[in-house]
Parts: sequence; C-alpha cells; structure tokens
Amino acid sequence: MKKVSIYRPTTVDEAIQILSQHGSTASVYAGGTDLLVRLKNRLEQAPSYLVDIKKIDHLRYIKEDAQGGVEIGAATKLAELVDSRLLLEKYPMLVEAIGKISSPELRNASTLGGDLLQEVWCQYLRGGYSCWRNGGYLCYGAIGDNSYYHSAMGGRLCYAVYPGDAATALIPFDARAKLATPQGEKELSIEQLVPGDMLVDGKIQSHVVRYNEILTSVVIPPPRPGVKASFEKLRPRGVWDFAMASLGISLQLRDKTIEDSRVVFGGISGKPYREKTVEAFLKGKTLNAEVGEQAVSVALADAAPLKYNATKIDMAKGLLASGLARLNT
Amino acid sequence: MQTIEALLLEPVGCLAEFSSTPFHEIAVRLFGRREKPISSASRSYWRLLNLIDAAKKPFDEEKKSIVETLEVEAVDAASIYEDVVPALAELKSMGIRLFVASSLSRMAVLKFIERNSLGEFLSGVHTRDEAGGVKSAPLQSALDGASLSRENTMFLTDTLEGIKTARCVGVHPILMMNDPDEAQRLAMHNPAGGVVSLNEIPDFIRVLAAQNQRG
Repeated sequence: MKKVSIYRPTTVDEAIQILSQHGSTASVYAGGTDLLVRLKNRLEQAPSYLVDIKKIDHLRYIKEDAQGGVEIGAATKLAELVDSRLLLEKYPMLVEAIGKISSPELRNASTLGGDLLQEVWCQYLRGGYSCWRNGGYLCYGAIGDNSYYHSAMGGRLCYAVYPGDAATALIPFDARAKLATPQGEKELSIEQLVPGDMLVDGKIQSHVVRYNEILTSVVIPPPRPGVKASFEKLRPRGVWDFAMASLGISLQLRDKTIEDSRVVFGGISGKPYREKTVEAFLKGKTLNAEVGEQAVSVALADAAPLKYNATKIDMAKGLLASGLARLNT
Repeated sequence: MQTIEALLLEPVGCLAEFSSTPFHEIAVRLFGRREKPISSASRSYWRLLNLIDAAKKPFDEEKKSIVETLEVEAVDAASIYEDVVPALAELKSMGIRLFVASSLSRMAVLKFIERNSLGEFLSGVHTRDEAGGVKSAPLQSALDGASLSRENTMFLTDTLEGIKTARCVGVHPILMMNDPDEAQRLAMHNPAGGVVSLNEIPDFIRVLAAQNQRG
C-alpha cells in the first residue's frame, strides 16, 4: 500500500485548510471503499495525505427540511439510506437504487458523498496503467477491452463510464449538492456536480469538486404530487457489480398524461446521461405501451459505442422499456 | 511532457481516410514490389516511404510524374475526417501553430489543403519536395523553417514508422487511435500519448498546460 499521512480534522473549516495546504496530493477520506483500493493498488494518482472527515460533526444525518424535502449529510452511510423510513416514505425509488449499490458489507462502509464522487473503475486505471487519470496520456479502455467499464456514448480523453448509481437516482428528483469551499458554501445540481470527464486542477475527474472543497450534503426537494419514479439496473451478478446499464426515471403524471419527466441513464457514459430527447418526446403523451415503444426508438440516438460495448445501448433501451412499463402499472 | 506550442500534421492517417491502392500502385510500378496490397492506407503509405527512402535518389521526371499523378488521385479520393476542421479551428484559436509536414509531393499536399479548405488554419506547409526527402525530412524542415522547439511540438501518427520518425527528430509522437486493434499494438511502442479523435488534441494540450502550470 502507498504510504500516507492521515489528518483527522474536527470541523469542515479545518479540513478545508488542510486540503488547501497540500493541494492535489491530499484527498478526503470517509468510507474508503474507493480510496483505499487505489492506495492498495499503489496508483500514481492516489493521494499522499488523507483528510479523514469522519470525526466532523454534522456530515452524517438524514433529516427532513422545512419545505418537506430531505437533506442527507455527505458522510451518511449507504446502508443508513437504505434503512431510512423517511427516505422510503418520500423517495422509495432512491432507496431501491441505493440498495442495489455494491454489497451489504460495502454499503455499511460507503458514504453517499463517496458514491457520488468516486473514481472510475476502469480495469486499466485500477491495474496501474499509465492512463489519463494515472499520470499518462492515453486511454487504454478506448482500444482494449471496453465491454464493461467504458462509455458507449463517446468520451473526452478518458472513456471510462461514471460508475455511481446514486447520481442516476438523484437527478430524477432534481436533487442538489452543497459544497464547503474556502470562499463559503456553494450549491450545484447533481448534474452540475458530475458532468463527466473534466479538467479540474490539472486532473481529469468525473466531478467538479476542487482539491480544497468538500461535498457536505445532498438536498432533495419535496416529492411532487403525481410523480412516479423507477430505478432499473443491469449488472453481471446480482450484487457487488457496477451497472452495465442503469436507469433512473421519474414521470410527473396527471391521470395518464405525462406532464414532465426525467430520464437518466447510468453505466453507459462518462456521466449520468440525461436523455432529454426522450424527455421531450414524452411530454404531453399518454403513458401506455405504444408510447413506451416509441420512446425506446428515439432514445440514445447519439450513441457512439466502442468496439466491444454496443450491447450497453441495447441494455439501456431495454431498461427504458421496462421502466416505463413498470410506471404504467 | 512540456506545454505544446506546435503540431505537425501528416494528412495520410491523421487528417483523412485515404485508400491504400494508389500507394500500393506506386510501389508496384516504380519499385517492382509484389507484396499483396494491405488495407491500411497509412501502412501502405509508410511502406512506400521506406522504399523511397532506401532508394536514396530523387525520382527522374517520368517517375515523378507517375507518383504525383497517383498521389493526386489519392488526395481526390480521400475523405477528410469530420472532426478535422473544428479541431484545427479550435487549436488555432488557442494559439497553437499548425504545420502540414508530409512526405507527399507538394502538388498533392496543396491539392489536399485547397480541396478541404484548410489553408486558413496552417502556419506552414512542408513536403518532400522542399524538404529534399521523406519521413523525417519534412518534419525537420518544419522544425527548422519555423524555429520550433522540439519538446514543445507534437507529431500525430497512426503507424509505428510515424512513431519512430517523430522520436528520430525529437518531437512527441501522438498516436491517432483510428483502428483499436492496431492502436493496441502500437501503444506498446510507447508513444508520448494517444487520442481517439483529433477533437481531443485541444483538451490534451490544455491538460499539459495545466499540469505544467501546477508544476
């Protein structure tokens, strides 16, 4: 394992100071289910200083806010989200989605913030190849085995898929993220938080959080009347694996008429892929089997599969069909 | 890698999809080669360049005419990659100096540039005619002619010969990963980097600039 030094700040301000001091050689450490693997694999890009935020109060909670929405601390364990009666009552689709992340053991350690901001799980990066995210200048996934961990929707230097499920499930609820920064609090939509391969502080990463910023919480607006939501996921095994393709979908219905929708695919692109063509198609339509078939036919027209992963697009379209069918029952 | 200030571009394999047939035909007619044609235009082209280089003498007028005619035919039939014009426009707007450094004849290169309206993006054109040779000669000509710093210059290529040629003149060989299987093989020859599309070069250069700024 790569040698590291660990700080244990007790306030967010102190953590930001430490992160600012060490620049991009430091990283926030909470659940560790991503970070410790990178350290064990001795990746060049792995940090030398860990800023353990578990001792900081007020980062681990699930609470209802004054408007009837829910705020979740970034250090809240995924298992706590799965067990939350409040979340189950207000956003059952989110609970279902989180329950499909990884395995029960890992959900006991992983945090919501960690799931949102985790590094990609490309086998070349994790295997120590000198790729774009590990000190090199070439994407081995684009030319090697890209059947599982790589984008079928194009790329930008790095072709790994964004691996998290929480973002795919949160975007349909228009959830937002709060960040603590040296300049104060910053708020972003989840789409803005994880826009795909970005150059941030000289590094390629899936999210926009800078080296001296900390994701502190996620805020989900109150559930809207008439909204039905569904989460679908395909993976090679029933637990532990990442999504080959996933779908978070919400429909705002008046009787059977679709007034608004959010359609978000996971596991197929470098970001949670919001399919606005399908959203526009669905608007004003009556939810039925025929509309479901038509929606599938217009979905993912921009697909750009690599040599071995065209099947991801078929899977994603299949999930859209099953998601719409589920919401039609 | 240092911050990049200039890019050397070889049209074959880097800017357009060429047919291998004209290059194979030149090899057959001028050098009497009997190998089976290969489907990759780039490999066919660089195989021909090896023959020209090994001959160590300029073509006589008759042969020159045959070569130029076939090269112009190749240019006429070539399809420019759809990302080339936007990528070159973006690179130029970033202040990157762009040069065609090609082992094709001047006539063929100028035809290629005119046909695809690339002239406005280029800071210079160096072909085998003014360079007095192929492979490294046009690259050397561009470097010397524009006083380019080698460590701040990239050469885009999709062949092993191209990688070796770039290394020979001291510029960074960047692999154009047009064919995944071929690119996988060439990645083992340690190019300085690789891109799937020319569109990625501006981001590539931004990454280098940010990394160098960060120190």
